[in-house]
Amino acid sequence: MKPFKHYDVNTLDEAVSALQNFAGKAKIIAGGTDIVGMFKDEVFAERPEALINIKTIPNLDYIKEEDGMLKIGPLALLEDIAHDELIKGKYTALAEAARRTASPHIREMGTISGNICQQCRCWYFRSPNNRFNCIRKGGEDCYAEEGENRYHSIFGNVKDCLAVNPSDTAPALIALGAKVKTSKRVLEIADFYEKEEPKKTTVLDDDEIVVEIQVPQPAANSKSKFEKFAIRKSIDFPIVNCASQVEMDGDTVKSARVCLNAVFANPYVAQKAAEYVVGKTLDEETVTAAADLALQDAKPLTKNAYKITIAKSLIKKTLLACK
Amino acid sequence: MVQKHQDDGGGKKITLKINDNEYSMVIEPHWTLREVIHDKLGLTGTKEMCDKGACGSCTVIMDGRPILSCMTLAIECEGRKIETVENLEVVGNPLVEAYADNHAMQCGYCTPGFVMTAKALLDRNPDPAVEQIKDALEGNICRCGTYPAHIDAVLDAAKRLEGGKK
Ligand SMILES: Cc1cc2nc3c(=O)[nH]c(=O)nc-3n(C[C@@H](O)[C@@H](O)[C@H](O)COP(=O)(O)OP(=O)(O)OC[C@H]3O[C@@H](n4cnc5c(N)ncnc54)[C@H](O)[C@@H]3O)c2cc1C
Ligand code: SF4
Ligand code: FES
Ligand code: FES
Repeated sequence: MKPFKHYDVNTLDEAVSALQNFAGKAKIIAGGTDIVGMFKDEVFAERPEALINIKTIPNLDYIKEEDGMLKIGPLALLEDIAHDELIKGKYTALAEAARRTASPHIREMGTISGNICQQCRCWYFRSPNNRFNCIRKGGEDCYAEEGENRYHSIFGNVKDCLAVNPSDTAPALIALGAKVKTSKRVLEIADFYEKEEPKKTTVLDDDEIVVEIQVPQPAANSKSKFEKFAIRKSIDFPIVNCASQVEMDGDTVKSARVCLNAVFANPYVAQKAAEYVVGKTLDEETVTAAADLALQDAKPLTKNAYKITIAKSLIKKTLLACK
Repeated sequence: MVQKHQDDGGGKKITLKINDNEYSMVIEPHWTLREVIHDKLGLTGTKEMCDKGACGSCTVIMDGRPILSCMTLAIECEGRKIETVENLEVVGNPLVEAYADNHAMQCGYCTPGFVMTAKALLDRNPDPAVEQIKDALEGNICRCGTYPAHIDAVLDAAKRLEGGKK
């Protein structure tokens, strides 16, 4: 790796002022499993000058229920989330998503805040030494449009960028209706992702930090489920993943939330599927119709129409599991 | 090296606790833990295969967790308890003999990473079921395809551990 500056901070305030000192030229390092890889490969068009280490701030890895919600500290490790009894029992989709993320070693290092903030994995974007200075890096072209796009978006582009968000925990948090608390504000996690500008992944300002994830307690008659399709069971990023949460009223659905990821620049809320199942019983026929509706708007690229079939199947599986 | 009073973001003199030794040295921010352990300290048991966090061959145990030394910045490891494969021979951990007796290697390059991952598992769970062993070793890649032998080796080591040979 080429040299960079590195600062340990003791408080969140110190972290914010360190980011302000560098005016956009410093980044947070949490577990480092994403950002260290980006430094190693010289992925950046403009390389950050410094990393601000927040692991030196004490007590940011908590998992607790308080004020009627689940509160997760930004440094909570994915492995601990995956095995937490409270999360497994009540916030099931999140435990399942954490459990299916990357490999055991990366889960022992990777944090929840790093997971929801991670950068896209488009292979042109990630190609070493900034070989493809594409739109997401401020360049003119998207190389995936006519190139190898089998893992790219099936729901269109954002300013011509076709990259997908690779996070496994984000769709689970969206299905569970989570909020992200930052050093400046509290956001619905669905609004945490940048919608207009592909150069940014999240709406975070240069000096803004994720300080907590808040998940409301699910209603008594509700269940949630996460499913992931990847080439190998371990290590691999999702080709498509999906999380659903359903609240039942007797035999019929009272409310539902369904979210796909790795299908668009941001986690993709399958609103049509969620609306369709309300008031119906969750049987094969209903979930098939819901999945078909959700993928009605898909615009596959030259090499990724297969992802539509996978997405439909994951919507069906997760909804049926919530019966 | 001039003693620094304020953190200027550059190299820092820190103490790394590796196995039963303490190493005080100036660490640059861009040095990975793998580089420091293998290249600077000469503890060559820790191997680098992918240098991308995708194979597990550089696994060491830090504060009880199996982690990837190639994705860890050494400058962030001050005061952490780090264990490398060299320590197993010193403490007489039965994994060493169990791996040899069960032929759980061919070229042997991935072996230290598997063994350290298995050690972290056995430290937490001295009597793992086959499924638990498979889950724990899920992030270790072996190009020679020795996968089935690792399960035998870890089960064997667990048996030997119960014999009191820790
Ligand atoms: C081989 C491999 C396989 C992987 N497979 C998967 C997978 O299957 N699924 C998946 O979801 N991920 C996968 N990952 C990505 C993995 O990096 C993330 O899952 C991990 O959770 C990132 O967390 P981290 O703490 O290591 O992040 P870091 O690398 O420390 O940070 C990631 C980004 O988030 C920012 N950031 C971190 N914390 C904060 C904060 N509190 N406030 C503001 N910004 C912050 C950083 O600046 C950086 O840009 C994989 C990675 C590798 C190397
Ligand atoms: S999909 Fe986006 S990140 Fe990938 S090459 Fe195109 S513009 Fe770049
Ligand atoms: S060398 Fe570290 S994971 Fe492959
Ligand atoms: S024994 Fe050769 S890579 Fe595993």
